Formats: sequence, C-alpha cells, structure tokens
Amino acid sequence: MSSTEQSKTKLNQTPTTQRMSWIHKGELTLIERLSANILKAGPMPKHVAFIMDGNRRYARKLHVERQQGHTQGFDKLAETLRWCLNLEIREVTVYAFSIENFKRAKDEVDGLMELARQKFSRLLDEQEDLEKHGVCIRVLGDLTLLPLDIQKLIAQAVLATKHHNKCFLNVCFAYTSRHEITNAVKEAAWGVEQGLIKPSDVSEFLLDECLYTNNSPDPDLLIRTSGEVRLSDFLLWQTTYSCLVFQSILWPEYSFWNLCEAILQYQLNHQALQKARDQHAEARVLQQLEADRCCAADLLQQTGLGKPVDPQLRQEALQKYTAEREERVHSFLTALQEKRDRFFTDLNKGFIASAKA
Amino acid sequence: MAVVYEFVWRMLHALLHLQRTLLSWNWRLWRRAMTAVLVPTVFGFQNHPHNNKKLIPTGGKKSCCRVLWKSDGKSLEKLPLHIGLLIAEEETRYTDIANLVVWCMAVGISYVSVYDNQGIFRRNSSRLMDEILKQQQELLGLDSLKYSVEFLNNSNDKPEQQVLSCQATVKVLSPDDGKTGIVTAAQKFCQLVEQQQKRSSDLDVNMLDSMLRGTKGMPDPDLVMKFGTVDSTLGFLPWHIRLTEIM
Repeated sequence: MSSTEQSKTKLNQTPTTQRMSWIHKGELTLIERLSANILKAGPMPKHVAFIMDGNRRYARKLHVERQQGHTQGFDKLAETLRWCLNLEIREVTVYAFSIENFKRAKDEVDGLMELARQKFSRLLDEQEDLEKHGVCIRVLGDLTLLPLDIQKLIAQAVLATKHHNKCFLNVCFAYTSRHEITNAVKEAAWGVEQGLIKPSDVSEFLLDECLYTNNSPDPDLLIRTSGEVRLSDFLLWQTTYSCLVFQSILWPEYSFWNLCEAILQYQLNHQALQKARDQHAEARVLQQLEADRCCAADLLQQTGLGKPVDPQLRQEALQKYTAEREERVHSFLTALQEKRDRFFTDLNKGFIASAKA
Repeated sequence: MAVVYEFVWRMLHALLHLQRTLLSWNWRLWRRAMTAVLVPTVFGFQNHPHNNKKLIPTGGKKSCCRVLWKSDGKSLEKLPLHIGLLIAEEETRYTDIANLVVWCMAVGISYVSVYDNQGIFRRNSSRLMDEILKQQQELLGLDSLKYSVEFLNNSNDKPEQQVLSCQATVKVLSPDDGKTGIVTAAQKFCQLVEQQQKRSSDLDVNMLDSMLRGTKGMPDPDLVMKFGTVDSTLGFLPWHIRLTEIM
C-alpha cells in the first residue's frame, strides 16, 4: 500500500469520538518512551510553538475535501499535545488562523469557523478531562474580528480553564504578529492617555507585557511544517532568540520522530542561544539604567537651581526615579490585566444571558 | 537507569557535534569554490548552462566572470529586491562579507543589509564600507564605476554618492534596529498621545509600519541568508521579516 493509501485508511479507522477530542488518548510505545528518556537527559524546551502548515496540501495529496485536511490537522494537534505532555513540554503555542486567512475563499473560511465552533464547544464538554490534566487554554488574537458566537464560546473556554496551571495551550486565532505588536503599542498609549505611565516608561519590558503572550515565556523552539521557510507574521517579537526548525513534512503527517528531531536541533543550539539571550538581557538592563539616569538627571536639573549636583544626590535621585517608574508600570499592568479580564467576563455574561433567554 | 539515558544522550550529541565539525572543515577547505557556487545557486530558480564552477575570481578570468554574473542575474526568473545577511559566526570576516555584498550588487540586488547579533559591524561600519569599496574595485574592475553603492547610516539621511545606474543600497544593522527601534517608535507615538496630538485608538499597523520604515523607506527583506551554526534570527529586524524566506 502506498503511503497515501495508508494515510487514507488510517483516516477512516480513527473513531469519531477520538477524532473530535482535544486530548488524545494513548500512550507512547516502548521505543518512543526510551527515546523520550534519552532526549530528556539534555536541555528540553519549556515552550514550543508550531506553525501547523500543510493541511490543504495534504487534502490535495489524498484527493479529499480541504475541510478534511483541516480536521486531520486538528487531530494531529491533539496528538502532538499528548506527545508534548509526555516529553514534559508544559507550554505549546499554535498558529491556528491568521488575519490574512480571512482573505481565503468564503466557503473555506466558513468551514474553518464551523470547525472552530465544534472544537470550542467540544472543549466545554471535556472540562473534567481538562481539569484532570490541568490544561489552561488561552486564545490570542484580535477576537473582535470573529463572529460573535465564536467569541462567546472562546470566552467560556478561556474562563473555564483560567485557573489550571499544569500545562498551557495558546491558540493563535485571528492573529498576526504585526497586529499584536501594534496592539501592544496602543495599550501603552492608552496607559499614557489614562495618566498611568509616561512615554519614557515605555521599554522593551513594558511592550513584552502588553503583548497577547504576556503570561507566557518566549518560545524556546519554533517548528514550521510543510517546508516553507518563513515566519508568516507569527510571534515575530517573541522568537528573536528561539531555535527555528523548518521541517518539510506536512502537518497532518507529523510524527513523534519529527518532534524528536526538532528537539534535537534545539539541544544543539541551546548553548549558543542561551548566550545570545543572556547578552541581550544584560544589554537591556544597562539601557534601562541609562534611560533612568537621564530622566533622573533631567528632573534634578528642573528642580535644581543650576548648581552642580553631587554624586550622592544623583544616586538618590536615580533610585527614587526607578522606584517610582516601577510603581507606575506595575499599576498600569494591573489595570491592563483587569481590562482584558473584563473583555472575557462581559462576553461570558452575554453568553449566559442569551442562553437563558 | 537515568545514568544510561544520560550516557546515550552524550554519545548522540558527540556524534552530531563530530558531524558538524567535519562539515565545517570541509566547508573551510572549499570555501572559495563553495561560496562562489552558493550565491548563484541560492538565487537560481532555474538551471542555467553558464552556472559553472569557474566563478572563482582569478586574474585573467575576471572579465568573463563579470559577464557571467550579469547574465546569471538576468537569467533568473525572480530576483529578491532586498537581501539580508545574518552573520551568526564567532569570527568577523570583513573581506568575505564585502565579497558577498559586491556579488549581490553584481547580480542585480538593489538592497543589502548586513546584521550581526552583537552589533560589531555597526560599530565598525566604516571599516566594512572601506572593505566593500575595495572589493568592488578588485572584483568588478572597470565596471565598478557603473555600480554606485549608497551606504545608509542612521545618523545622516543624505546619500553618500550620487545616483547612477545599477545603484545598490547597503545598510548595516544591529539589534538596536530591531526591538529597540520598535520601542523608540512606541515612545514617539506615546509622546504624541501625551501632547494630545493623537489618540491611542488612532494607531494601526500601517501607521506603525511607516514609523518604523523611516525616511529612507527600504523594502522588507525578501530573503535572509544566515551564516553560522545557530538556527535563529537572533533579533534581526523582527517587524520586517514577516514574510521573509530564511535560509
């Protein structure tokens, strides 16, 4: 049997209930477990990002409907999550739907929205399972671009799993990195408008916290399937020091061994990337110190009377300024988090109200 | 049992490191020949009868090389408008980078960016510029007058040379142009908001894009060629590499 026929047979054999589930049932085989243990002897990525490319090409290859390709893609996601759990990779981010994808043919977009509806509804059915595994689901993107009923389903799913903390799944839906960065700058500007922060408080750290991914560490490893070697507007800010692995396999055909191969690449790059990351962090601290020093000196000049300032006074002014800046930033970030939580709770209230009606 | 796993892991990584070292030795031995072939084959989207191994610039063959480069460039179906060179190697080799830049120009690429993670090229940009001009003379000889190189410095917006035919623009980048550039643009926008010249809701992707592009307005890189063993962008212009092919 050719590999295409094998895949088709497998497609027809997988039971429907398993096909719909977010968490794949099944354990690793002995060989897989042994390989996993060998890999775990080295540094393991704590956060892996996937660009799940190749669903449509897979459907074309098997001569089935595109929609089936996407459904298979979702099943593969469930399987991959299971592998990540087995490999103790606690956080996974996936690129499910780009804002650019809205430009695709209407029936394909509608099909994807319908798939999203089914999956997020299914999620609510599987709450017990998710609680058992401690899975926290976050959906990142400009959710206001989605149909309202999907927004409400997402809000329910996010709120239901909010307090789980064993592992994290971030689904990028209606997302592009440029929109995310623009949104982060907008939030900072909102902070300035509200009088919570000053323009000079805006730093790399602040923008980090304004992104949709503020509750996650940067990905250690980014994997893109189907052979394309682009980032396609995915986590551009967050992956500056991530290990990028481009694999030519199509997403629905992804295997445990492909994942191991990617992790091996990560392990080979680990030291160099760690070094680069540390250098960047040091440079960032120095930049912030320098910026604080300038601001504190400006303030002193304004309040001083043109007299030369002694180092002791300068140092005190610097410490005071830094403490005040950190205080401002902290209250701004608290306000931002409240604003974001309110978005979901408002949607949820609307959902419950319409359900009762 | 854990000890066994660790032992196997170490063996596996030792083998992989050995493989990498052997490959890099091979690379150094055939560096000239390989890089001379690599540049046209990376650009080459179709097989080309002149794409031979004789592109090593040596004395008498120089003139025929230049003709070959020009015809190589013209024969390709599609040339990238802007190429980024991401140098992730430990040693900084100015001559090799200068060679690459000149080759890019000769094939017809309009914009070339040179980036390294530690900002070494940025700090020594005048040395790199001198090297590029020197290589331009050496490799292109009489033709070099036709190719004018415009070096973009962040401090001055005026071009250093006049615009002639076959003009190329070279820009030297560092991590300061990446995230730090975005932070600076964000601060500027916030200042406008503070002065009530703009509202936070006025900002959109296009506005931020034009703020980041600045007055020179270089297009986004179509292709980034990475040199070195690290599989990462290491901070190369995060905003601009949205659709860039990374090799």
